[in-house]
Amino acid sequence: MQSLLNYGLNKKQLYLIFFLVILFLSLVFAISIGSFETPFWKLVNGNLDELQKKVLLQIRLPRVVLAAFVGASLAFSGSCLQGLFRNPLADPGLIGVSSGAALGAASSIVLSNFLPTYLGLFLLPSFAILGSFLVIIVLFIITKGFGYNGVTYMLLAGIAINAISGVGIGVLTYISDDVELRGLTFWTMGSFGSASWKLILPAIIIIFFTILFTLKISRKLDLVQLGEIEASRLGVDIKKLKKNIIFSSAIIVGVSVSLTGMIGFVGLIVPHMVRLIIGVNHKYLLQGSIFFGAFLMVLADLISRIIISPAELPVGLITSAIGAPFFLWLIFNMKKT
Amino acid sequence: MDKILFFIFISITTILYSQNIDDCNSSKNSNRVVVAGGSIAEIMYFLNLQNKIVGVDVTSVFPSDLQKFPSIGYVRNLSTEGILSLQPTLVIGEDDMGPPHIIKQLKAAKIDLEIVPEEQTAEGILKKIYCVAKILGLDDIKSLSKYQEKDREVKNLNKLKQNNLKGKIKIMLVLSMKGTSPVVAGKGTSGNAFIKMIGAENIFNSVEGWKPVTLESIIKEDPDFIIIPNREMHANSNTEELIENPFFSNTTAGKNGSFILVDGMAILGFGPRTISSALEIAIEINKK
Repeated sequence: MQSLLNYGLNKKQLYLIFFLVILFLSLVFAISIGSFETPFWKLVNGNLDELQKKVLLQIRLPRVVLAAFVGASLAFSGSCLQGLFRNPLADPGLIGVSSGAALGAASSIVLSNFLPTYLGLFLLPSFAILGSFLVIIVLFIITKGFGYNGVTYMLLAGIAINAISGVGIGVLTYISDDVELRGLTFWTMGSFGSASWKLILPAIIIIFFTILFTLKISRKLDLVQLGEIEASRLGVDIKKLKKNIIFSSAIIVGVSVSLTGMIGFVGLIVPHMVRLIIGVNHKYLLQGSIFFGAFLMVLADLISRIIISPAELPVGLITSAIGAPFFLWLIFNMKKT
Repeated sequence: MDKILFFIFISITTILYSQNIDDCNSSKNSNRVVVAGGSIAEIMYFLNLQNKIVGVDVTSVFPSDLQKFPSIGYVRNLSTEGILSLQPTLVIGEDDMGPPHIIKQLKAAKIDLEIVPEEQTAEGILKKIYCVAKILGLDDIKSLSKYQEKDREVKNLNKLKQNNLKGKIKIMLVLSMKGTSPVVAGKGTSGNAFIKMIGAENIFNSVEGWKPVTLESIIKEDPDFIIIPNREMHANSNTEELIENPFFSNTTAGKNGSFILVDGMAILGFGPRTISSALEIAIEINKK
């Protein structure tokens, strides 16, 4: 380590490299393991038979890639929102985007008989994205453009919107029949099972560029930690920053949720984990969250695929099972300090 | 402690009660019938006794005429007041009718309550028809030509079933595939019972209940036929799009285009039309 430090890399950069390495390893693992056997040495030699290649390239690879991108989006937007609100409890769910997407998806599942068919595979994702944008627009209007002094106001509005979406989903659940209910239940627990190149390509392009575009706000987020007024005196346009972060979060989280359903706790815990390891400098925190979020999600999806194979354990259960205890630990630690 | 004992006492009496009323006794007065369970409502139509119905639960959707009746809610989550408000003389329920305290409350209200035993086989459906007929005072059901026709269908089905069993036909029954991995019929589901009825093998017999399965495992298990509800097809636009999907196109079923589109409620409801659907599908897979 010391010798590496001498090469002009600081400790934080080393951690980032470490995150990248474990992400890479998890990708290799996830791509080589699954319920359809694809022996590793054959994979390396390129000796797979036709069917193994197809399974690998058309089924497993898009799934792993999607998991990585979704993990990165949730963790990244969690980091941004926690920074923006200076609130350790902020996560993508809080601004209501996920529940808006869930409401849209639930409508498409329960009301599919009345909806046009030409959207095909894109029907559910389109509705989910529509739902999340509806929520953001409502939020934008009632907080008067994410108003200047309105952090608490904003959070409360988010909670209210979550509750309203909850009612909508509840009504849809009530009127759904057994089949729809089962579809709905499994969707809300999250799954990367529907991943195909056709579906995920637009998503990963959107996520990639949105994150790339948003990354440059890290310095401003550092200044916001001093307080909104101080930050604006130091030249940060808080209102613009808020719009920037909330809209980009809405885009990447909306797209993610639309393809995978509800995956809890990643957006909340990953930023905390990364902050514990790498510190509060947003330049490293944001990048670290991207890599670590992707790493964690690829791993969680791997577990979901193989733990009770051939059946699949919903990935949201796994992330929540890891996330909830960690969250408790976090709360107890906060009390002490 | 007392509370626990009381609870146990209540549970035991409930269990005893529900077993007591499992017999198919002719009801004294079947003029106003409330039905809890889709297959029973279907049987009442089948027997041409629909004019006795005054209320149905939400799973009673076939024939669509049933929707004109007042709804008493979901079969497993009924409310006593809702049922009593229809002033029934008789309540007929499927064996999953509930919650359990409803049964006690209806008994306490001196309502005639009959629960029809469920056995998810072709013969079980015949028994169910027989039982409902008996409860409603239709004694010589076996001479009814409609019943005899069903009886013949069951005999044909069983012949085909024996034949199919030799062929070891592998089937996957999909329930839903919206935004998740396909949710398929595993052990202990009505879907599994249906697959048995037609003499095929369920490739996901190792899975318990209705569960999502990975696409890879579908290719690994390689079904000969895939049964999909019509409605799922609707959501997925068309068969071509489905066939393009790599997990379908790399199975025997996908290569041969062996998709069997069904009305999900028809095959999973275990009413009279389940026998006809089973016969149709048994013939289709028998051609293999």
